[in-house]
Amino acid sequence: MRISRRNFLKGSATTLFLAGFNFSVLANTSKKKNLVVIMLRGGMDGLCAVPIIGDRNFEKRRKDLILDKTIKLNSDFALHPKLKNFHNLWQNNLGAIVHATNIPYTKRSHFDGQNLMETGGHIPYAIKTGWLGRGMKLAELKGDGLALALPMPLLLRGIPSNDNFFPSKKRLPRTELLQLLKSIYAEKSEHDLANMMEIIANRSMMNNGGTSMSRKNSSLALKAGLELKKINGPRVAVFEVDGFDTHAAQGGVNGSHSDSLIEMDSIFKSLEKGLGSEIENTLVLTLTEFGRTIEQNGGRGTEHGYGSAIFMVGGLLKQSQVYSDWPGLKKKELFEGRDLNSTIDARSVYASAMSTVFDIDFKRIQKEVFWGDDLQNLSDKLFKV
Amino acid sequence: MKNFYRKVAFGLGPEDKIPSDPLDWATSQLNDIPEYSWKGKILSEKELRNYYRDYVYGDRKVLRKKFKNDKEGYKREKNKLRHATGQKFWWNLELCIRYSEALKSETPVLAKLWYFWGNHFAISEKDFLAQYTTGAYQREIIRANMNQNFEKMAQEATKGWSMIHHLDNEQNIGPKSQSAKWAREKGRKVGVNENHARELLELHTVSPNCGYSQDDVIQMAFIMSGWRPEWGKKRLETGDVHFDPDAHQPGSKIVLGKKYKSGRKGLSNAITDLVNHPSCREFIAMKLCRYLITDNPTQEMMEPIIKAWEKSDGFLPEVHKAVIEVAFNYSDQFNKFQNPENWLLQMSKMADVDLIPSPAFMDLYKIGTKPIRDQRALEYLMDELGQHPYLAKQPNGWSDISEDWMSPELLIRRLVYAREAYYKKSGNSQTKEFYEEMIEKNYDNPGEILKIIGQHRELVHKHVILFNLPETLRS
Repeated sequence: MRISRRNFLKGSATTLFLAGFNFSVLANTSKKKNLVVIMLRGGMDGLCAVPIIGDRNFEKRRKDLILDKTIKLNSDFALHPKLKNFHNLWQNNLGAIVHATNIPYTKRSHFDGQNLMETGGHIPYAIKTGWLGRGMKLAELKGDGLALALPMPLLLRGIPSNDNFFPSKKRLPRTELLQLLKSIYAEKSEHDLANMMEIIANRSMMNNGGTSMSRKNSSLALKAGLELKKINGPRVAVFEVDGFDTHAAQGGVNGSHSDSLIEMDSIFKSLEKGLGSEIENTLVLTLTEFGRTIEQNGGRGTEHGYGSAIFMVGGLLKQSQVYSDWPGLKKKELFEGRDLNSTIDARSVYASAMSTVFDIDFKRIQKEVFWGDDLQNLSDKLFKV
Repeated sequence: MKNFYRKVAFGLGPEDKIPSDPLDWATSQLNDIPEYSWKGKILSEKELRNYYRDYVYGDRKVLRKKFKNDKEGYKREKNKLRHATGQKFWWNLELCIRYSEALKSETPVLAKLWYFWGNHFAISEKDFLAQYTTGAYQREIIRANMNQNFEKMAQEATKGWSMIHHLDNEQNIGPKSQSAKWAREKGRKVGVNENHARELLELHTVSPNCGYSQDDVIQMAFIMSGWRPEWGKKRLETGDVHFDPDAHQPGSKIVLGKKYKSGRKGLSNAITDLVNHPSCREFIAMKLCRYLITDNPTQEMMEPIIKAWEKSDGFLPEVHKAVIEVAFNYSDQFNKFQNPENWLLQMSKMADVDLIPSPAFMDLYKIGTKPIRDQRALEYLMDELGQHPYLAKQPNGWSDISEDWMSPELLIRRLVYAREAYYKKSGNSQTKEFYEEMIEKNYDNPGEILKIIGQHRELVHKHVILFNLPETLRS
């Protein structure tokens, strides 16, 4: 393990200075660019997905959970051996990681944490819209959001007319009936319902007459990739992967945390397949509520922690890299003596990503989406600007 | 005012008389816990847990060893094991029992509140709990305690096998306990597991509003250490919950400033204090209002419920009556967007949809066989609607916030399953007159509604429109 905080800060001093200038307003706006967010629910263990190499503190504290045959990414970090698709992307400069990062939430409740990872706020349940929805509103992307889930995630709320897809096995009633309901909703000032009915009545892509389509994330991602590829298709997509809350039997390479990571990895693969060459104009990011404790617990699992990692995929990435201001894993370096610290506000990554994909000045996003919170513009370090 | 029947229950069915005193009609349903209206077979939680035991033991201890080099053989035998233990059937039977209380009982108001409490003390998706024991847990621990104090329900839910197992408390071992020492001698690391302790505070009793700290959570976990299923070679983790002093963290603990002595009484004492904390009754009053009345309950709404709680020491029938009265008083001002399950039951009740398979038909099931498709209809349907009551994603249960139930796909489900439901109605309810009478009985603006659905000739279309009108979606 060679990485240290000091080295990192030295290496990035010049770019920090430049961060105040914004070049993204000059970016080429003719291309349709896509942003995909994959929500990893339950607390993704960044140290299981992207373990540090050669840290004795780490190996000692998790001896039953150390993975065999990890894939070496650089001198400091390795990759979970089952993340084969991500590794392929990495090798083609289409995959990167931000490590030791999280939203600024430290209380370890899933429900509060998941609420905040979606709203981007500080007080649980205080904000009724998602940071992605607010970013889309700023970019005037009405009707450009697609959730691959049965409910509409909070993350996308804040802009009307988002679509979702989770194939039904039955056929829709006839169009006149849908139109009638739409007009009733409109008359009764039920604007949300009217909007939804409008989408249902008009969309062609997904009502394939009751033929049953798989609802697996890998299949949904293929469909989403094909939609995002279309020039008039959606520009934002959101996925959900559950099952990261492994208090027990987290296991090693074949454990339950691996199962959820593999599901995430299958989304990367199907998106790439569906998008084809448009992967070049796409950015995929993961989002979780917190990482997990360094130390394994009594049931060979881990407890709720703090710092985690963000997986990033797509052609809008600057390069393959593990971007981190590594805080270290010695007891005094840990958050409250137990968790990997977060040295990068994850919202800096998301704000920079929206700035890059939506072609909006970072400072506007910072101010209007994140209430002027103290965020860093990482666009030129992480993305092609 | 007629939305009150739909708000606190599922509307009035064709056989129901219009109550002369609606408030009395509702509150008089809340004093006792009547026998189940389901007249078929009902298994106890213990019997169902034994089936679960046979499944986990058979799989983990027998099949995985026997077929370790034969993937296909393993798959085949595991399927047999599923049927031998009723894995595909029991939860469908439980749904029949559950929905009979809404549709066939004299106490639909009690049923609607039962669903609230089952969701408050939710057992979310984990292992195969839903298929075997969650329904029975909701009957024996939740429903059975609805005429008791909240404390009794909280004590029993917390120490119930389902909750202890669901929230990993069997892995919560005091780091200074005897068991931890033995484990360390064998080179194994064991320690505290905070999961259950955190949810007891956050979801089941005082909520984060009371301002507990991470330290309180750990101290609570220490109090709970040792509460676990009695382990057995054949029972594995399915034994009855007991207090194992060897796994208990020694020494006193402090939660929210109060000291608890080491030992088995610590947990009961801590629960007593938690349920009597002002944050607990405020939290539950808020949740009850949010479930029945509006996403954003006001202080004025919550006040009478908190008062009733204080006066009756958390006696649930009194708390329930208070919330029903508040719902009644606000019924003209607020409409609550109905979650998919309550919407389906409302439609089934008012339109006389034959939702539940008959007891005789369900009792045809023979253990060891594959249930027939129609015996599994409810499981499929609830999954399709997006709200299988035993499969909440997380321990906070299903959401009571309207927006969480709004999306194009969720609306599509209401359209297509309203249509499906129409074809499950008896012939004599498929008449224009039937609908006119039902609308008259259940809506405050029957004239307007009849005019709207009059725009479509076919009855099935009228039915789909009616059950997707704002007046129905919100009650």
